[in-house]
Amino acid sequence: MPRPELEEITFSIDGREVAAPANMMLVDAAKRGDVEIPVFCYEPKLGQPVGACRMCLVEVEGIPKLQTACSTPVKDGMVVHTQTERVRDAQAAVVEFLLVNHPLDCPVCDKGGECPLQDISFGWGGGRSRFIEPKRHFQKPLELSPLVAIDRERCILCYRCVRFSQEVAEDYQLILQERGADTYVATFDGHPYVAPFSGNITELCPVGALTSRPYRFRARPWDIEQSGSVCTLCPSQCNVSFTVRDERVLRVLGRDNEGVDDGWLCDKGRFAYQAVHADERVTRPMVRDGGVLREVSWERALSEAASGLGRAKGRVGAVAGGQTTNEEGFLLQRLMREALESPNVDSSPFGSRPRADLVALANPRLQATVEDIEFAHTVLVLDCEPIDDAPILDLRIRKGVRRQRTKLAVATSRPSALDPNAIASHRFAPGGGADFARALSRGDESVREFGDALRAAGEEIVIIVGERSASAAVELAEALGLADVGGAGIIEIPAQTNGRGLREAGCVPGSGPGYAEAPDGLSTPQIAGALDAGELTSAYLLHVDPLRDLPGSGAWAVGLERATTVVAHAAFLTDGVREHATVVFPAEGHPEKEGTIVHPDGRLQRVRPAIAHQGENRPEWQVLAELSARLGVETGVMTAGMAFQQLVAAVPFYAGLTLDVIGGRGVRWPERAQATGLPEAPAPAAAPAARDVAPSNGHLRLGTFRSIWASVEVEASPALKFLTARQRAELSPDDAQRLGLRDGERVEVGVNGTRVRATVALRHDAPPGTVFLEEGVAEDAANVLSGEPLVEVKRS
Amino acid sequence: MTQHLLFKDIDEPRLTTLEVYRRRGGYAASERALAMEPAAVLAELNASGLRGRGGAGFPMGRKASFLPKGDMPKYLVCNADESEPGTFKDRELMQKTPHTLIEGIAITAYAVGANRSYIYIRGEYELQADILEAALEEAKAAGLVGDRILGSGFSLELWVHRGAGAYICGEETALLDSLEGKRGNPRLKPPFPANQGLYQGPTLINNVETLATVPHIIAMGGEEYARIGTETSTGTKLVSISGNVRRPGNYEIELGTPSRELIYDLAGGPPPGRDVKLWFPGGSSSPVLTKDDLDLAYDFDTMAKAGTMLGSGAIIVVDDSNSVVDVALKVAKFYRHESCGKCTPCREGTNWTVKMIERIRSGEATPMDLDIMASVQTNIIGHCLCVLGDAMAMPIGSMIEKFRPEFEEYIEARRREADLGSNEPLETPLQVLQGAR
Repeated sequence: MPRPELEEITFSIDGREVAAPANMMLVDAAKRGDVEIPVFCYEPKLGQPVGACRMCLVEVEGIPKLQTACSTPVKDGMVVHTQTERVRDAQAAVVEFLLVNHPLDCPVCDKGGECPLQDISFGWGGGRSRFIEPKRHFQKPLELSPLVAIDRERCILCYRCVRFSQEVAEDYQLILQERGADTYVATFDGHPYVAPFSGNITELCPVGALTSRPYRFRARPWDIEQSGSVCTLCPSQCNVSFTVRDERVLRVLGRDNEGVDDGWLCDKGRFAYQAVHADERVTRPMVRDGGVLREVSWERALSEAASGLGRAKGRVGAVAGGQTTNEEGFLLQRLMREALESPNVDSSPFGSRPRADLVALANPRLQATVEDIEFAHTVLVLDCEPIDDAPILDLRIRKGVRRQRTKLAVATSRPSALDPNAIASHRFAPGGGADFARALSRGDESVREFGDALRAAGEEIVIIVGERSASAAVELAEALGLADVGGAGIIEIPAQTNGRGLREAGCVPGSGPGYAEAPDGLSTPQIAGALDAGELTSAYLLHVDPLRDLPGSGAWAVGLERATTVVAHAAFLTDGVREHATVVFPAEGHPEKEGTIVHPDGRLQRVRPAIAHQGENRPEWQVLAELSARLGVETGVMTAGMAFQQLVAAVPFYAGLTLDVIGGRGVRWPERAQATGLPEAPAPAAAPAARDVAPSNGHLRLGTFRSIWASVEVEASPALKFLTARQRAELSPDDAQRLGLRDGERVEVGVNGTRVRATVALRHDAPPGTVFLEEGVAEDAANVLSGEPLVEVKRS
Repeated sequence: MTQHLLFKDIDEPRLTTLEVYRRRGGYAASERALAMEPAAVLAELNASGLRGRGGAGFPMGRKASFLPKGDMPKYLVCNADESEPGTFKDRELMQKTPHTLIEGIAITAYAVGANRSYIYIRGEYELQADILEAALEEAKAAGLVGDRILGSGFSLELWVHRGAGAYICGEETALLDSLEGKRGNPRLKPPFPANQGLYQGPTLINNVETLATVPHIIAMGGEEYARIGTETSTGTKLVSISGNVRRPGNYEIELGTPSRELIYDLAGGPPPGRDVKLWFPGGSSSPVLTKDDLDLAYDFDTMAKAGTMLGSGAIIVVDDSNSVVDVALKVAKFYRHESCGKCTPCREGTNWTVKMIERIRSGEATPMDLDIMASVQTNIIGHCLCVLGDAMAMPIGSMIEKFRPEFEEYIEARRREADLGSNEPLETPLQVLQGAR
C-alpha cells in the first residue's frame, strides 16, 4: 500500500517561518520551529488524536476559537500563535483544571521528577492554586494487576491507557467507569488487568496514576541512569532502555524504533529483568564433583572443560540457544570446527534446514521489513502465533489492520489470537504448514478460496512464517511473485531469539559463516541420537537446556546421560543442566551482554551492557576464545569488538559494517549494497512430505506450541511468577465432549507410557481431532512427546 | 401570535393511528415529495429557511446539502434525545402525532439519499417510544416506510433506538457513538458527521421538531412557509414554557412574537403578586435574561443579539420568590452530573463550580469567590471538546454578571448566619486550611 507521501509546506508559528510536511499535526510541526506545545492526551502511537485534555490550545489566524494543536493538521500559509495572552490564559486554565483533583503528593510519587504534569504545570501553569474545595478521593493505591498499581486520585483522565487497551493491544479490558468528575479507569468487573502488553500503560501514563509495582519506591529519577540496549528474550528484539541504579537493573522502558517495536514492549520484556538479579542465578563457574555441581574457580572450570573437550576431539556436538549473540555463535563454530574438529554445530531446536534453503530464505529480494507488515495489502500469518512467538509483531499486525485497512489471512493449526481480525482463517493438522503453503503455491482447488482472499487486496503481501514452514513459504513467495514487489516478502520468526544471526554466523551443520559451504555435520536432533549411540561423547550447550528448550527431551536425557563431558553456559540450573552438565559457565544476562544479534527482518542490532557483570561472571566471548586457545586455536579475540570484526570479515554480506554504523537503531543488511555477498543458492533439496496421520481409536493428533510465558526468566522474576506457563491441553469442545472432558479438568496426555499432566482448555476454533500441548514449561512439558503423531487424552 | 402548523390537529383523537392521520391529510406530502426529484425537495427545504429546532438553529437545508453526493451508504438520524431541562415539545409531538415525524424522516431521507435511518429516543420516553414503534409498524405495513416506498424506487429502513439516559447523548457525535454501541462521548470535530458520521458514513442529524416540520413545508411549499415568522427566523416554533407561570405547557408560536406575550398571555405569567426575576429563553443552557428583556422579539437573531440564544425554545421563568443562588446551583449540579468527563475544562469546571456554589450556601464564601467563579466560567467557555461545558458556563456566567449584588447579599447573609447561628466549630475545608482545626 502506498506510504503517506510527505509534501513540504511552510507555515508561520510565533512569527517564524517553518517548513513541515503537510497535514502533520500542529503539535509535531511546531517542534520543527523549536516551539513546544504542551500535551497530555496526544500520543501518535495510540492512533487518531482525541482532543480530550485541551492542553494544546493555540490560536490559528482565521479561526475564531482556539484550536487543539494535537488535532489540527498544518496547512500551507497557516499562521499560528502560541504565546499570545489568550493562549497563555487558556493553557494556564487547563493546567489549573487538571490540578483541581490532582493530589500534591509529588514527594512520594514515583513519577515525581519525570512527570509531564509537573513539567507542564511548571512551564505553562499559573503558579498558584485558587482551588480550596475538597478534592475527590479514592482508595489508593490499588492493584490494577500484580504488575501495575493504580492511584485514581492522581489520574487526569487523559484516556491514554484506555485507548492503548482498546485500540492498540485490543484486549478491551480497560474502560472508563462513571462519568464527569466521577470518572475513573477500571476494568469492567474489577478483574485484574492481566494482558501480554499491560505494562505499557505505566509508560504511557503522563502522571503517577499507573505505576509499575516492581519499580515502586525503588528510585528517584536523579538516582538512576538509562542505558539503551536490545531485549533478547524473544525474536522481536525490542529496543529497550534499562534503568540502572548501583549496577542493578530496576526497570525496563521502551526505546522507540519504528523499524522494530513501534515503542511497545511485552510484559516479559518489561519485567523479566528481575531474573538477572535473582538469587538462584548462576554467577560462578561450576564443576561436577562427586555427582553434584560445585562452585569452583574460573581456572579450574576452564581447565576441566578444555581437557574434557580435548579428549573428545572429533566427537563433540554443540547446540547454541537463542540468546547467543552473533559473536558467541561465531566463536562457538570456530571452537567446534577448528579446535575440536567436530562440525556438529547447530542452532535450531528442530535441526537446521539444508544450506540451499537457508540461502534462498536470506534472499534480499524476499525480505519484508517490520514496517511492511503495517502497509502491506495483505499479511499472511503462516504456521506461527505472533503473540507467543514474537509478541510485538502481533501489535504491528493489529495496527495495520486497524489503521491502514491491511487485510489479514491466518493459516495455522492452533487457533490464533489474530483470527478475529482476519478476513480468512484456515486450520491445518499440526505440522501441515509446509504442505498448506505448497498447496497454495500450486493453486490447489482445496485452498482456492483462501488463496483468492490472500491475493484479492493487492500484490503487496507479507508472509509471517514460523521456522518450520519457512522453506515452503519461500516457494509460496515465489509463486506469488513477491520478489519483484516492493513492500512485500517474508519475515521468518525463528524459534529462538537470534535464530537468524546464528545461521548467518555459521552455527548450522554444513553451512559456515555467511552461508559458506562447510563440512557436513550433525543437526540438533541428530546430536542427541549420536550421543546416545556413543558416536559423540561430549556436548557443548551454549544457552540451551535440551530437556527444557528442545523437542525430543527424552532422547536428550538418554544422550546426555551417556556423554562424558557436558559443558553448559547457563544462567539457571534447570533440569538438564543440573543433572547432566559436568562444567557450567555462568551465562550473562542480556543487560550484561555485549555483542550483536540479527532481527528476523535482517536488522543487525547491538546488545550493549547496562550493568557490570554480576558475581564472578565473565563475558562469554572471552570464555569461548579462552577455550579455543587452550585447545590449540588462538582466535586473537581480546574484546567483543574484535569478535565482531572477525565475524564481519567472515560474512561477505556484512562487509563494511562497524559497531558505529549499526548504532542505536540497527542496520538491515539486506538493504545494503553488500547484500550481493550472499552466496548463490545451491539446488534445493527435495522437501520431505509431511505425514498426516488421521486420528483414530480415541487418539488425537498432537500439536505443540510455546507460550510467551514459558521461559525460565519468567519463573525467576518474582513479579512475573504468577504468569508462569502451566501445561494445558487445548482441544475443541466437540472432541472434549466426545471424550467426556470438561474445561478445567485435569487430564493425562501421552502415548506408550510417556505422559504429561495437563489441564483441559477448550478452544472453539481448534481443528477437530487435535490436542495442543505446551513446550518449554517447567513441569510436564510437551517436549517429551514431540515427534509423536497421535496421543491419548485421559482423565487423571 | 399563535399559528398552528405542527399543532394543527394535535388534539385530534387517535391521531397516532395511521387511519386518522391519513384522514387528516397525512402522507400526502410523502407522495408529493416522492414524485419530485430529490434535489427539488432539497430546494424546497432551502427555500423554507427552516432553522434547526434542536438548539443550534443551523439552516436545515444547508446542513442537508453538506452530505456528499454519491452512492455510499448514508444515514439520517433523528435526535429524539430531548434532554435539555425545560424542553418537552418533542415528547408531545411523538406522543400525539408520531406519523408526522415518520413522514418527515421519509421525505428528508429521500431528499439526501439516505436509505437507513434511526430515531434515537431518550430512554425515559418509554411511552413515546412505544407509540413510535407502533406507528412505525403501521407505516411499514402500509408501504410508507421500507422497501420501495409508495411504489417509488426509494427504500428506507427506519429503526427506533432507545437511549440509556444521558444528556450528553443529545450531542450529535456522542449520540452517534451511543448508537454504535459505545460509551456516549462526543467525538472530535472535524470530521463532521456530514462526512464521517454513523459507522463512518455521511450522516444527517436532525431534531424531531425539525423533521416533523418537513411534511408541512412540502405540503405548503417552501416559499409559502418562509412567509411565516421573520426574515431570518421563518416559520412557527414549539415553545415549552415552564417554571413560575400559571399555564405551563407547549405552545406553537410564530417566530418573532414578543416574549412578553409568550410568558404572560400564553402561559399566564407568574402567580399573582410575583414578578419575573429572570428567564431562560432557550433551555437551561442559555444565558439568562431579566424582566427588562421581556419585550424582545422571540426569534433566533434577536435572542443572539441579546447575548443569549433561542436554543430548543424552552422558556423557563423564575419569579422573585427564588434566590438566584439556588437557580445557579440547580443548573450547575445538572451539568456536573451530565458532563461525560472526556475533556478537562468541562469535567473539572462543572465540578468546581458546584463546589463553590455549595460553599456560598454554607456561608463560607467571600465576594472574592464570585470573581473566581466568574473566571472559571470564562475559562470553560470555548475551551471544551463539545458545548456541554459552555452550556453550564454561559448561564452561570450570565447570572453572576446580572445578579452580582444579589449574590453578594446572599454571601454576606449566609456568613452572618453561619457565624452567629452555631457554636459548633465547623469542619470545613476552608477552616481546616486556615488551621481552625
